[in-house]
Amino acid sequence: MTVLARAAAQRPAAVAARPGGGRRRGAGGPRWWVAYLFLAPGLAFFGVFYAWPAVTAAQLAFYDYDIVSPPRFVGTGNFERLAASPEFWQAFGNSLLFLAMFLPLVVVLPLFLAVAVNLRLRGIGAFRLVYYLPVVTSMVAIAIAWSFVFHPKGALNWLLLELGVIDTPIQFLLDGHWALPAVVVVEAWQYTGYFMMIYLAGLQSIPAGLYEAAALDGAGAWARFRRITVPLIRPYAAVCCVLGGILATQSFASIYVLTRGGPQGATTTLGFYIWSRAFEHFDFGYASAVGLVLWAFLVCFALVQYRLTRGEPTG
Amino acid sequence: MTPRLRTLGRYVLLTLVAAVFAGPFLILLTTALKPGSQPVYSFPPDLLPVPPVADFVIEAWTSVPFARYLVNSVLYVVLTVPAYLVISALTAYPLARFRFPGRQAVFLAILSTMFLAPEVMLIPRFLVVSQLDLVDTFAGVVLPGLLSATGVFLLRQAFAGIPQELPDSARVDGAGELRIFWHVMLPPVRPTLAVLAIFGFVNVWNNFQWPLVVLKDPDSYPVTLGLAYLAGTFGADARPAAAGAVLAMVPVVGFFLLMQRHIIEGMSGALKG
Repeated sequence: MTVLARAAAQRPAAVAARPGGGRRRGAGGPRWWVAYLFLAPGLAFFGVFYAWPAVTAAQLAFYDYDIVSPPRFVGTGNFERLAASPEFWQAFGNSLLFLAMFLPLVVVLPLFLAVAVNLRLRGIGAFRLVYYLPVVTSMVAIAIAWSFVFHPKGALNWLLLELGVIDTPIQFLLDGHWALPAVVVVEAWQYTGYFMMIYLAGLQSIPAGLYEAAALDGAGAWARFRRITVPLIRPYAAVCCVLGGILATQSFASIYVLTRGGPQGATTTLGFYIWSRAFEHFDFGYASAVGLVLWAFLVCFALVQYRLTRGEPTG
Repeated sequence: MTPRLRTLGRYVLLTLVAAVFAGPFLILLTTALKPGSQPVYSFPPDLLPVPPVADFVIEAWTSVPFARYLVNSVLYVVLTVPAYLVISALTAYPLARFRFPGRQAVFLAILSTMFLAPEVMLIPRFLVVSQLDLVDTFAGVVLPGLLSATGVFLLRQAFAGIPQELPDSARVDGAGELRIFWHVMLPPVRPTLAVLAIFGFVNVWNNFQWPLVVLKDPDSYPVTLGLAYLAGTFGADARPAAAGAVLAMVPVVGFFLLMQRHIIEGMSGALKG
């Protein structure tokens, strides 16, 4: 749900922030403290579940804390530990790899799907529905379904053997090379319909007249796609890119059910590593330090995105 | 290519893609219904259970307290969504319609929570919840989800679009502020509330990591956690896990099919701002 608002906030047009204009209140409107009476519950929750934890997170990273004994200040000790930890660097590398595989899958493929479900065909709504179904399904159920697909004697191996792509079945979830791509595929598969809907909204905002004019000028379907759709859909692609980055780092249930971060840490991303250090090993200070690093990484990612998308023609 | 042939080709393509998205669910369903005498895996994949039996659905239902998990999930939804809507509306309303000192600051503060990645907030939030003595309680699962920037953001926009004449005339009639909020301002934003409620339901139902961290007692597990537990207990036979997954999917998929119009429109509505 947060993701939706992020999408909306990312919208390039100025539709997002519209501070009520001049019609905020007429004469005899409420006094200022009335506003705070309305705000009180929201602000209380904001304070307890956002502000307080945010401060705690920053503090905790400089402490050694296992919940049982009181926290002990260790300065930058946690950061030194993580910098020297092969596990951390493996998780860091896995996160980058995850992102590198996940982003193309959710930024490029859904665009083609959106073009397909934007066709005026009888029953197209049913196809949209089927493509969207995984988005509202629990990842735990999805992961169980895919564990059958990935099984050495499962459907995927059968298909690849039949097509002659491989000679011997692959243990997708137990093979260090294949486990991470397998998890990425499941995550991307779940969200494809979601990104498709974002693109569909974008496609439907492109005036049909543009396509008609281009067709009159003799532009073929591919030329129309390249010259009209792609440039005008760019802001939406930027939204998908940002959302893709956020979703990639949030992957958890898929990893938990399919691989538990294994084999040998091959599917442990930074997000999973944080959970594992904190809630399997009760190493809360260290896990918080990793959290800060991840957060810094996310901020950098957002800044790079912002720089890349700023100044582009937004249609 | 004749137009007819092209249309046919499009349907073939759409159907192939649909197979990619429906396929894993079909495998799940047929696996759940296969009798014990039929192998789960085979080359080529054997998609028809002969005969379809409910043995493993019953096993999934009885070997863990599955009904209990479902009831818990319903409780989490019922406890979360209405409160979430009320708090979001109460917060969004003055931000959209009142002029008061600190308005911009409050809005920015709430908006900034979007940038606090949940995986980074996981630990400190858990510590806050444990300091409040809410670990392993329903409140511990529910409370942190009651405020989200999304809800405030979308509702603020909805409130901003209401003509000023509405509250003004109510004020002239001498209505109190709470009355104006509840009887005059809330009805027009009902569509936004509906979208938030639908997505709230889906999110709470599918939530996994937070309840995993907060809950210890399996009797409080929502169905996602119960399902992961069930899948973990059957190493040898995959059928009960498949059956459990189907059982866990039924309510939310049914809800989705009922609400599909709102979900799809709501999504694009939210994106269009």
